[in-house]
Formats: sequence, C-alpha cells, structure tokens
Amino acid sequence: MTKINTISDLNALRNKIINEQKKFKITVTLCGGTGCQASGSQAVIDALKNELAKQQLMQTVYVRRTGCHGFCEQGPLMVIEPGNIFYCHISPEDVFEIVSKTILKGEVIEKLLYKDPVSGNLIKTEKEIPFYKAQDRHLLSQNMKVDPCSIEDYIAMGGYAALAKTIFEIPPDRIIKEIKESGLRGRGGGGFPTGRKWAECYEAPGNEKYVICNADEGDPGAYMDRCVLEGNPHLIIEGMMIGAWAVGAREGYVYVRNEYPLAVKNIKIAIQQAMNMGILGEKIFGSSFSFHIEVARGGGAFVCGESTALMASIEGKVGEPRPKDVHTVVDGLWNKPTTLNNVETWANVPSIILNGSSWFASKGSKGSKGTKILALTGHIKNTGLVEVPMGTPIRTVLFDIGGGALNGKTIKAVQTGGPSGGCLPDSKFDLPIDFDALYEAGSMIGSGGMVVMGKETCMVDVAKYFLTFLQDESCGKCVPCRLGIDRMLEIITTITEGRGKPEQIELLQELGDTISQTSLCGLGKTAANPVLSTLRYFREEYDAHINEKRCSAGVCQALITYRIDPEKCTFCGVCKSTCPHNAIIGQKKQVHSIDLQLCQKCGICRSECKFDAIFVN
Amino acid sequence: MLQYINLKIDGVNIRAAKGTTVLDAAFEYGICIPNLCHVPNLSNIGACRICIVEQIVNGRSKVTTSCTLLVQEGMIIKSNTDKIRNLRRNIAELLVAQAPNSKAIQDIAVRCGVKKVRYPFRNEKCVLCGRCVRACTELFRAKAIGFVGRGKNRHIDSPFGVLSEFCKRCGACIDLCPMTITPCSGPMKPGKERLCGECESQLYLSDKTPDHCVWCELGKGFQCGRY
Repeated sequence: MTKINTISDLNALRNKIINEQKKFKITVTLCGGTGCQASGSQAVIDALKNELAKQQLMQTVYVRRTGCHGFCEQGPLMVIEPGNIFYCHISPEDVFEIVSKTILKGEVIEKLLYKDPVSGNLIKTEKEIPFYKAQDRHLLSQNMKVDPCSIEDYIAMGGYAALAKTIFEIPPDRIIKEIKESGLRGRGGGGFPTGRKWAECYEAPGNEKYVICNADEGDPGAYMDRCVLEGNPHLIIEGMMIGAWAVGAREGYVYVRNEYPLAVKNIKIAIQQAMNMGILGEKIFGSSFSFHIEVARGGGAFVCGESTALMASIEGKVGEPRPKDVHTVVDGLWNKPTTLNNVETWANVPSIILNGSSWFASKGSKGSKGTKILALTGHIKNTGLVEVPMGTPIRTVLFDIGGGALNGKTIKAVQTGGPSGGCLPDSKFDLPIDFDALYEAGSMIGSGGMVVMGKETCMVDVAKYFLTFLQDESCGKCVPCRLGIDRMLEIITTITEGRGKPEQIELLQELGDTISQTSLCGLGKTAANPVLSTLRYFREEYDAHINEKRCSAGVCQALITYRIDPEKCTFCGVCKSTCPHNAIIGQKKQVHSIDLQLCQKCGICRSECKFDAIFVN
Repeated sequence: MLQYINLKIDGVNIRAAKGTTVLDAAFEYGICIPNLCHVPNLSNIGACRICIVEQIVNGRSKVTTSCTLLVQEGMIIKSNTDKIRNLRRNIAELLVAQAPNSKAIQDIAVRCGVKKVRYPFRNEKCVLCGRCVRACTELFRAKAIGFVGRGKNRHIDSPFGVLSEFCKRCGACIDLCPMTITPCSGPMKPGKERLCGECESQLYLSDKTPDHCVWCELGKGFQCGRY
C-alpha cells in the first residue's frame, strides 16, 4: 500500500482511484449491514459474484458491499448504477435474472421493484421511493457510496480532505470556533454543545489528552451508531482526528460493544488501513501531528454508555459512573482531560470543516442544528434508519417517511430516546424533533431511537417493560437509582396485577421526581422518564387499571378475560385444538366457549382464530 | 502552605482549606448534613445520596452530594431547603424500608423527617453503602472484599466467594457497618418491621426543628464532631 506523505500524495491517490473506478461500466451496490445480513444479503452477494465470474463480467461490473442503507424493512437491498435501479427483498435465486436481464440488457425486473404501499405503484429508482425522498440523508447517503473495508472508496469520495485541510490550514482555536458556530450538539443524548466541550478540553491544563468515540449504544430499538460505525468507519476516524487536533490529543479510543461484531471488525480494519497509508500514526501527512487510535471493546453494559463509567471501563475498572463535580473534559480518562463524543457527533465533524459552519447551521431548528439519524421501529410500516433535519415534526417522520401504523391501525404513542426517554401521545406529534422541545415535553431525543406503539399497547405495561430493563442495567451504586427503580417497578407491578391503590400514583410521581433529581449519573437521572411521561400523558390508563381494574389495551393478564363471540364463531375447532390448557369447551357444530377457571390467558387461541371471534374483555 | 477558601453554607460564612469537601467544611462549623456512606479519611463515592445539598450556580440551583463536592471560592450552598429536605426524606424512606433493622438507618430516617414508610418493609441485611469495601481497600490495603454483580444483584463478597488470604481479620468492616447497630428494642421479627419511634427525645427534636442533629448512632460510632 502506498504511503501518503503529503497532501499532493493524497490528491494524486484520489484521482488514481477515481480513474480506476471509472473503468467499470456498471456498479452494483449491495447492502451488507447487519439488518440486511439478517435477511440473507451475504448469500446474495456470494451468488452475484459467482454469477458474474461465470459470465465473465468481473471486469465490467463493480460489486460494492456497503454498510446499512437504512431501509432495513425491505432488505436485502440492491442499487444498480447507472439508472439508480432499486431492488428489494432479493434472494440468491433472483441473481441469475438480475445479471442476465438488468446488468446485461438494462431491463428492469418488475417483481423485485419496491411497491409503494400507499399508491400501489411500482417504483423503479431509489430516488423516487417516498421513504428516502422525505429525508435529508447527509450521513446515511455516504454509507451507500463506500465499502466499509475499503479506504480507497472513502478517499475517492473525498475522504480525509477535511483532515488535510485541518492540519495544514486551520489552527485548533479556529476549529473550535467553527464547531461552536455550527451549533453542533452531542448526538448521544445529552445534547451538550460540542464546541463548548472541545473548548473546555482545549483550555484544560496538561499535555496528555484523549479523545474517545462512544459507540456503546444500548437502547432497545436503536442502532444508528452501529450502522454508521459499520458502514463508514473512516468517517469516524477522520472526525476523531480533527477533534484530536483541536483539543491537542495524541491518542484516541473507540469504545464499541462486543455485541456489534461487524462494527468491531470494520473499525479495526479501517484503523489498520489508515495506519498502513500513514494517515494514522506518527507525523501525519508530513506534519508534526501524531495520532493513534485503539479499539476498546465493551461487555455490553448499558451503564457503560455513560461517560465516566465508559472511562472506568477503558481503564480496566468496573464500569461504574463516578460523581462528575469536576467534568471529564478536565479530569477524564486516567485523570487527564478527555473529549468524549458519540459516533454520530464525530461523523458530522469532517463535513462541517469541509463545507463550513454556516452550511451546517443552515439545517435544523433554532437550538438544534444539522441532521439527526433516527431508528424507526415498532408498529410502523417502514422500519429502518431515517435521517431528517432537526426541527422536522414527529408527524412527518411517522407518516410521510414511516408510512403510518401497521395494518391501517392508529398510532397511540411514540417512545423517543430509548428507555430513558418518554412516551409522547398523538397530541404531541406536531412537536419538532429538537433537543429543547422534546425535553420540555418530558421526553428527549436521546440517541435517536423511536419506538412506535399502536392501539394494542398498554402504557402501564410499557412503563413496566422499561423499568425492568433499567433495573437490570442499573449499576446499583447509588440508592435512588437502585432502590428507587426497584420500588417503582414493585408499584407498577401491583397496578398491572390489579392490586393498585389510588395514592400510589402520587407516590410514583414523587419517587420519580426524587430519582431524577438525586441520582448519581445521567442514566439514573433519566430513569424515571418512562413512568413520568406515561403518567403525564396517559393518566387515564393508570386510573382505569387502579379504579376499574381494567386494561383497555388488553395486555395486563391479571385484568383481562378472553371470550368467544358466538356470532362470529364458525365452530372450526382451531382454538380448541391449539389451547394448551384444554380451556375451550364446545362440541362440533356448536358455539365454543372458554372455561375461565382453566384459561391461563396465553392468547394463543386469539392469534390462531381466523374469524376474529375471540376478544378480550 | 495551606490555601484557604471562603464559601457560604446556609448563609454562614465559612473558611475551609482547599481540597476539603463541602460536607467536611459544614461539619467543622457545626452544620449537620446527614450522611451514610461518608467515612472520615476514606474516599467519597457519593452512593447513598443522603448528603445532597443545593449548589447555586449563576442563580440556578443544582442538586449534588456534598461529600463529593470540593469547596470553591465564592460557592453558595444550601443544605436545608424545603426541596432538599423532601428529596432527602424520600431517599431515607427508601433506605429504611430496605433495612429497618439498623438503628443507624432508623436514626437517619428520623433525622430526615420520615414519618411514614409507604413501601413494604424488606429487611435486607446490607444497604451497599460501601463503607466496608473502602475501609478494606484504602485503610488496610487488603482488598479482601468488594462489590460483586450489577444492579439488583449487586452485593458485597470476597473475591470468588472465598475468604481472601489477604484478610487480616481486623474487623474494620464490621466496625464501620451501619447494620451492626441493632435497634434499641432488639432485632425486629420478619413481617413485624416498623419505623422505629421509640426514642422520644430524638423525635421531639426532629419534629420541632427538622434540620437539627439528632445525635445519631452513626455520629457516635464514627467520630462525628458532636460526640
């Protein structure tokens, strides 16, 4: 591999790679992200390469295996250039047809095209798909242009140009000023202004400083950091290097959880490639700047996403937070000034340097700039990764991009910000996705998870689910978080079991308030949010559980009974044969009924009944 | 040479050596901030959150633990506002519901104004204040015990559950443990745990002046300035 010693080397290499890639007439981009791999994209890639080799097309067709494209619902995905033809749900059996028809003759295969669920039309190109159209895919679109294991792809796209510009043209204080003016705020959940963090670290005394990339993403239903790190690791490396130059660090860490094997693999490959090219290491591009990156793997504790716990974990100690009366920008990793940012924050840095702060600040709302990647999951048609400018209303994300609720039902609530965020009801869907607006509504952007809940979700049960998660993941160091969550869960459990008392709601509120004000770390401080936000917006459900012993969504087992609607029952006997407890009585050609004494409320009969004859009372 | 710093705690002008914590500075001036996991001369971990105070920064109040907060010039601290008393009472209530069988914790509950416990009593043997672990690690350098597990499973144990060879059987862990001080009337029977209200003098004091020192058992055993 050629070493890059000067900027002109970098530019020469870029031109060379671009010329080489021009030789290929056709480029096939296949998503190799974790979502598409789960739907079998690896088999498709292998089959495609085999088929191309068989038909001796390897010299004219370039197969690029990229990171996540975002539309995981439709995976495995393929985009064929030129023509921007978009195929979804591809299986290895389709590969022969794709090669012989689309690649050789330019014909479009209709059965592989994406069908718009709203209009029912087939959509030929990727650009026209409504899911992509309504987004502003600044970071995710880069994912589609690069092979994560190829530094050449990244350089061809203009990669490391921002780094070269930084080292030779911009002194650290101007970088910090630029980041400050861009209005970039931490994407990990806190929303702390990145420029201010860097400035404090820059001013902190000491020669030895560190930068850390926090890729310990643990929220249920959130995977944007994973996809950026898996799909474009060089972007993170470049961002970290610019940050290191700005604050004066010579060493950096990427803290990534071991449950993300592809992310660990790709970032390690990327670091090795950059080292070999001389982009990382000593005297970068012939300047006096030296920088090294190490990968630290986390064991998957949710609490290690908290900055001080993460640093303790890198130091080899137990991953527990410590009091932050002195900030980590002054006293961080090994008691040295440390700048810790989230994957997405680092990913935004190179383009701010290249395009200028005003370009970044032109997107977004008043207090929150730029774009944000959201992980759209739950009871919604189009699940996947979505990137929108800050300030976009939640409604746009849910309906224009997400396509509305599954099966034409209504959306009851959306949980933003993972377990520490809150549930927002329908009436709040016009709120913009903005750090301050969501915080005021009792939720937060958090890392960007968006779990959509339909009508059949019980909000008390949702609060219980998140409390169980938090109870498992709390480190247990401080009293309010350890005992407080435990007691909240105890109270909520009594409510879902029909033993709740009206005064317990007040107690929940008071306890939640105490936890959020007195806990040691950020996780504890937000741990009460699921309960507090559901109490705020879905109080009537709590009241129904307590006073009427009724669960309107039909989820809380102790409060519901299953019954058979005699008018809908067709005596088919499916429920009777599937019931594991023999609780369904009824002769042939007679209306069946459920023996409530024997019924264990497992719900199997309801899901098996083809006539919707079984309902929940 | 020692550098001194001026700050205000509850309106009192206080002069404290640089590097002392707000909690220690307050004790020195006779301001009793209730605390549990703090032990003089050991590191502070801020685990029990009983010693919370309000720090006023630029007109905005911030709740933080006084044991981990170092004194700074011109600092304004309020240790006894309504807000802090409420929060402290709620934390003490959680603690006493967890471990009613300790006079030290019952004292803290009285001191923090707990009148009624709204949670079912649990009668656990440990509240994970970590006094023993720090004494063993920091004073005697034995590291014979430590925290094991996370969250609900967190407990104190010797490494791998086997008594460590480094244990000198000094008993410092037992001396410092708040659970070794049983209530005056003896251990409570399972299912009959209650909020201890038998020390009338204490209750009288805490009723009249909620911020007052109740001469707690922790202070007696652990060299509080009052004794």
